[in-house]
Amino acid sequence: MTDIAAAPSRSRNVGFPAVLAVLGAAGCALPFLVQSPLLLTLMTQATINAVLATGVGFLLRQNGTVSFGHAAFFGLAAYATALLIKFGLPAELAIVLAVVLPTLLALLLGVVIVRITGVAFSMLTLAVAQAFHELFLKWRELANGDDGMAIAFPAKVFGLDIAIFQQPASMFLVCWLALVGVILGLWLLARSRFGTLTLAIRENEERARYIGYRTVLPRAIIYAISAAVCALGGLLFALYNGFVSPGTLHWSLSGEALIMAIIGGPRLIWGPALGGVIFFFIKNAAGDFTDHWPAVIGITLILVTVLLPRGVGGLLVWLGRRAGGGRGE
Amino acid sequence: MTTSAYAIEGIDMTRRFGGFAALDGVSLAVPHGEIRGLIGPNGAGKSTLMDVLTGRAQTWSGRVLMDGRDISGLGAVERRRAGLARSFQRTNIFPDLTIDEQIRLAAATAERDNSDEVMAELGLADLAHRRAADVSYGDQRRLDLALALVGRPRVLLLDEPAAGLSMQESMVLAGILRDLAGRWGVTVLLVEHDMEVIFSICSRVTVLHLGKILADGTPDEIRRIPEVVTAYLGSSVE
Ligand SMILES: Nc1ncnc2c1ncn2[C@@H]1O[C@H](COP(=O)(O)OP(=O)(O)OP(=O)(O)O)[C@@H](O)[C@H]1O
Ligand SMILES: [Mg+2]
Repeated sequence: MTDIAAAPSRSRNVGFPAVLAVLGAAGCALPFLVQSPLLLTLMTQATINAVLATGVGFLLRQNGTVSFGHAAFFGLAAYATALLIKFGLPAELAIVLAVVLPTLLALLLGVVIVRITGVAFSMLTLAVAQAFHELFLKWRELANGDDGMAIAFPAKVFGLDIAIFQQPASMFLVCWLALVGVILGLWLLARSRFGTLTLAIRENEERARYIGYRTVLPRAIIYAISAAVCALGGLLFALYNGFVSPGTLHWSLSGEALIMAIIGGPRLIWGPALGGVIFFFIKNAAGDFTDHWPAVIGITLILVTVLLPRGVGGLLVWLGRRAGGGRGE
Repeated sequence: MTTSAYAIEGIDMTRRFGGFAALDGVSLAVPHGEIRGLIGPNGAGKSTLMDVLTGRAQTWSGRVLMDGRDISGLGAVERRRAGLARSFQRTNIFPDLTIDEQIRLAAATAERDNSDEVMAELGLADLAHRRAADVSYGDQRRLDLALALVGRPRVLLLDEPAAGLSMQESMVLAGILRDLAGRWGVTVLLVEHDMEVIFSICSRVTVLHLGKILADGTPDEIRRIPEVVTAYLGSSVE
């Protein structure tokens, strides 16, 4: 069973949570090993990116659809945090709503747009996201338009010093644990009956109906879950930066997230997160010696799609199987 | 609830594509527990009739009753949940799921989970953990059938389940179908080009031709109707 096509679509290996726990713990040690604040900052940003990519990748994996607009949920979460606090809500409530509101929006939107397939779906997601981008760009009274707005966090949230979320060493831990939690949650979801159902719908929507399943709501729920993950990323971004601008809603961020997911391998729950980290470090390493870092990303993307159709994650799984002789998911 | 002698009944069913009537005022009723054969040349409207009965067709006229209850207004999902299941002429499975996963998924919408029984009957038990895309064509055909059989539907519409199978495989399949139908008391409407299969398990046969019913009778009666022989059976039946 060296065929890497044989299992990545469904992670049924119970060893996965164990591997994840080890990786999670190892990640927690990083802030104590890495001394450079600059590197810690990069790691934190990379982890936030990884959360975003995980959301986009999950949609691709379960629904088989490409969203060009998931930055909208990322950005809306960041703006929701900023605006709800500005309007006087307690920061804790604002933080919870920052994830809940974009998720509900995605569910409502999803019930309508998941009926549309292929490129038309992707274009719709793009259009909706750009509409939000325009809204926050043009409506200066609401959120200062292009200038963006600072978020007036109180000194403490959930009883924790706000500095915990704004210093790289501690925030890296928060983001890392959030990422590990998201991946574990999505992994459990994917191996549940609902996970199997949504894969079935992705594969053959018509037959899914003929075995007695409605197909729109499950697809909309997956859409909402993937949006929730991106919203969580946006919330982490808002906490860390204390600032939000329309760039967080822009299609280019959606596109980057998609590239991350593809580089990492969206058939694996954790693939896009890996892609997010790779993307971020390529961007920064290349950005140090050339303004043309997008070209480096582009070349990476081409190499991956041509040589590694299952992404870097798929390669790792394959290497792991060869080394272990078993299933190294 | 009305009870009816018929498990499934289509009344004056018409389905047009443009000006062409693929199904032209066809009425058909299958009594409880019967295995009814539906034959006819290519393009006769057999699959179209299945589509109308199962709610796949979007535009059509007429009525469909199940146990005397009008289900014309129900969609495909509700009809399946009401106990009306179908298989497909073109293999229609979930290639990337394992056989076990998809059969259990199909069983989960039914009152009774008979996944293991169905897999054992159709010889899929040993393949349960293989991806559907990785098994042989014959196994995929049996899987398509299994997806319809699981959950013990009350009415089973099978669109050429033996297509592409060898003669021996076809006869084995026919035996399984007769066996299950008898044991479960399920009513079957069977579209099949393989006359061996039809004549060996059907108690009655309906012949469709150019969207209309040409004849209806026992296998022996059907074999003797000259029009049927020329329209469909040709010289292949001695
Ligand atoms: N979607 C469609 N659009 C236009 N014409 C159609 C469509 N579906 C079927 N037809 C036509 O309706 C007629 C009946 O088709 P149908 O598939 O029901 O035949 P069939 O009896 O199942 O034939 P076969 O034995 O080849 O499966 C054919 O002439 C076919 O070309
Ligand atoms: Mg047909």
